[in-house]
Amino acid sequence: MPMTAATPEITRFGGLHRAPGRRRRNLASLAFLAPAAIWLLVVVVYPCFATIRYSFYDESASRFVGLANYKAVFSTDAILVAFRNNIIWVLVFPFLVTVIGLMLAVLSERIRWGTAFKTIIVMPVVFSATASALVWRTIFDLNPHVGVVNALEQTASDFVRPPGPYPVDANLGQSLAGLASTGVRPDGHGSLVSISTVNAGHTVELGLIGVSPQTLALLGARTARAPTAAPGVIDGLVWRDFSPSHPGARGRVYPDEDGLADLQVSLLRTGGSAVATTTTRPDGQFKFANIGPGSFRVQIDAQNFTSSFGGTFWLGSSSVTPTSGLSQTAQALLSVPLIDIAMIVAYLWMWAGFAMVIIAAGLSSLNREVLEAARIDGASEWQVLKRVTTPMLAPVLAVVFVTMVINVLKVFDIILNMAPGSSQAAASTLAFSMYTHGFEGGIHSGLASAIAVILFASVVPAMAWNLKRIRGQM
Amino acid sequence: MSFSVLLRRWERRSVKLAAAVGGVVALSAVIALADSSATKAATKHIGGSVTVWAEWTGPEQQSFEAAITPFETQTGIKVNYAGKPSGTMDSATETAVKGGKPPDVAILPDPGTLRILAADHALTPVGPIIGKESKNYAASWNTLASVKGKQYGVWFKAANKNTIWYNPAEFAAAGITSLPTTWTGLLADATTIKAAGIAPFSLCTDVGWPVADLWQNLYLKSAGPTDYDKLAAHQIPWTSPTVTTAFNLLADLVGTPSDLLGGTSGALSSTYPGCVDKVFPAPGSLPQAAMVIEADFVVNEINSNSSNYTPGLKGTGGATCTADASKTPCYDFFAFPYPSASDSTYASALQGAGDVATLTKSTPQSRAFIKYLASPEGGAIWAHLGGFTSPNKGVPLSAYPDPVTRADAKELVDAKGFVFSLDDLQGSWEPDLWADMLSVVKTPTAANIAAVEQTMQAQATAAGIK
Repeated sequence: MPMTAATPEITRFGGLHRAPGRRRRNLASLAFLAPAAIWLLVVVVYPCFATIRYSFYDESASRFVGLANYKAVFSTDAILVAFRNNIIWVLVFPFLVTVIGLMLAVLSERIRWGTAFKTIIVMPVVFSATASALVWRTIFDLNPHVGVVNALEQTASDFVRPPGPYPVDANLGQSLAGLASTGVRPDGHGSLVSISTVNAGHTVELGLIGVSPQTLALLGARTARAPTAAPGVIDGLVWRDFSPSHPGARGRVYPDEDGLADLQVSLLRTGGSAVATTTTRPDGQFKFANIGPGSFRVQIDAQNFTSSFGGTFWLGSSSVTPTSGLSQTAQALLSVPLIDIAMIVAYLWMWAGFAMVIIAAGLSSLNREVLEAARIDGASEWQVLKRVTTPMLAPVLAVVFVTMVINVLKVFDIILNMAPGSSQAAASTLAFSMYTHGFEGGIHSGLASAIAVILFASVVPAMAWNLKRIRGQM
Repeated sequence: MSFSVLLRRWERRSVKLAAAVGGVVALSAVIALADSSATKAATKHIGGSVTVWAEWTGPEQQSFEAAITPFETQTGIKVNYAGKPSGTMDSATETAVKGGKPPDVAILPDPGTLRILAADHALTPVGPIIGKESKNYAASWNTLASVKGKQYGVWFKAANKNTIWYNPAEFAAAGITSLPTTWTGLLADATTIKAAGIAPFSLCTDVGWPVADLWQNLYLKSAGPTDYDKLAAHQIPWTSPTVTTAFNLLADLVGTPSDLLGGTSGALSSTYPGCVDKVFPAPGSLPQAAMVIEADFVVNEINSNSSNYTPGLKGTGGATCTADASKTPCYDFFAFPYPSASDSTYASALQGAGDVATLTKSTPQSRAFIKYLASPEGGAIWAHLGGFTSPNKGVPLSAYPDPVTRADAKELVDAKGFVFSLDDLQGSWEPDLWADMLSVVKTPTAANIAAVEQTMQAQATAAGIK
């Protein structure tokens, strides 16, 4: 408007002439615009140019370094990771959020309580992004007692493989070999088996270490007592081969050592077949009677050591794509860390409502007769959605898509708040990388500015498209 | 609500009140003591005011304000203190100096900014101002605050990173009676603790700086303070064998996931200060691990997480401590062990951090204030209030409230070679350094260590550390 107001007018007499009233009005509108214009100049235009200028300077913005910062951006693995993550976000997120938004919009039209449904779906949009990210960090927490995703995984896993009383979890670096102390060794199939053979009328003592005092208390363990031999019977003991008074001594039953209760032990013939199975008492003793002659081995069964599912490190940096054997740079460019997936899921939850609202608005202005006509012509609902609704909604879908492209190009807060520090390097995006280089720890304003300029340049095409569309509408 | 609950609440409050009153009485005793001592820094009445910035907020701000009360009463100078949020002090000061509106005194959290500001001629040398008070500090502290032979700062508060904190009850449960002094001894004790069914270490490695602190201790103790300072200045390449040695020592620890609470992924998702709470839990839970490797600020977290903990009596704490956090749990530390293969004289070298007071604007008031900070007076007050250790030799060890803090402060003052946290001197590539350290925790293999060293060398070169 101000542009047209300022153009001179051709008067009735053919000469150029400014209407005096107009000039006054121009001045008035200028006066009204000035504060906003100055404000824009100070907080938008000047910082833009200052950032571009800083991007050619060194870390303290005092020495001109030419294109060195830009070279550094494209040759630093940590920043290439940010590029890769931005590409993953742009390829995956806008598409998914548009599809989900479309589905939600179409479905919400079909159900009763549609408004309530929409309200619930839209809610995350108004939540603080930080709060949402923290909620999702908890949802994906490694500890199944905290994170609901891992709790579900654990419930399913425990249903299939019930955990034993003395879990050995390889994910925690534990091993059966680490547990075996006296008279036993791992058999390679998840069980511990006695090293020596035993005959009826003899005793066997099997010592384990690494059993926590809490486990013993939980199982009601009592002080271990060495077994006494009895004819025709194999008497045995499984005990905690660790004495606080003799922390380095193994193999002897000390008075401050407990028996291991509730262990399932089997008696094996030398061939390997089990003849009998029993459970240890609170003092760790067990007994096999009526076994006849011959040599046996005692096995502490595998099921005692089944560990509960320990959780997937969803917020970790381990890659979904294989990366072993690749160079550092190739790894930076080709791995897809789990944290990206977790963050994209969380971000979908945060933005699906927004996409749904925009698409639903488009949907409500569609010409229903066309849809009716398609249905009368015998199109299935799926065909209507695919061949009629979606093409007619294309302009709206494009707006959502492009808005989301811009949105995820500058994705930042979710990384800061959802990724644990050890995964932030793997989860980094350009905006996040700009922040860490510009404001965290050692400050490199030149590098941060160069990243900002590149980020800006990558947003421009999407912005231009959006602007062109808005103009086209006007 | 039952009457007994009310009564118990009232009792608890009155205990707190009594403690507070006791604290105030004792504090005034300390102030009186400091007043009567011969080392009065500023007795002349000057008047006016001084603007002071530091990173202390909340309880630390209260303690600092208590520590400077005698200065205000003696000189009549009003101290206008502004506590900056953690992590913002450096940039706030640099911006203020560039903008021509610096505070009078800026207490900076690392010597890096001091060097930048001194090079820009934004600081006034403090040597002539503090005079003989500079003898309160070991030479290495004064050197650390100097640029080109001129001293620009006074270390007021220090952190001791030469510490491993342990739960004495867990050590007792594992039958450990003598504390480890060597790295191999520590790892052997870890194996014993593991045999007792307790996780030895609760690492805080969800972020990189705790690994950096740990690695820097290993480097200091294996290569010595001279090489440490050279590496900090990048006069030794990151591909040097001394660096590899330190990484291999780190790999001895992190390469045994069963030594770490929750294994490798557990360590990588364990935040500071959560890692401290797992060793020193609040009532209602039991300790999950025996040790946490971090600086002496761990004590602040132990006490803020649960008020039940008492400081152990060095070495003998195990006898009276219980693992039950609702009874009489306690905490204690031992000095970071040195690798037995290396020179054992490095055992008394100490890594730390601290806050250094600088004169960003020289006025009679600010000069009087810096002299006061260099004297033992203020430090003695804060020492008494707790959560504070001073590198100032003049602060009497008796001012510290308990044997553990006293031992901690003694280590700081007695250190033969003091070095500053190396990561904090790395300027712009510090975050990358942290990420590199984490990479070794994730994959502690020889191949990865070699690759990480190459990366670090490239990063340090690009950052132009001098």
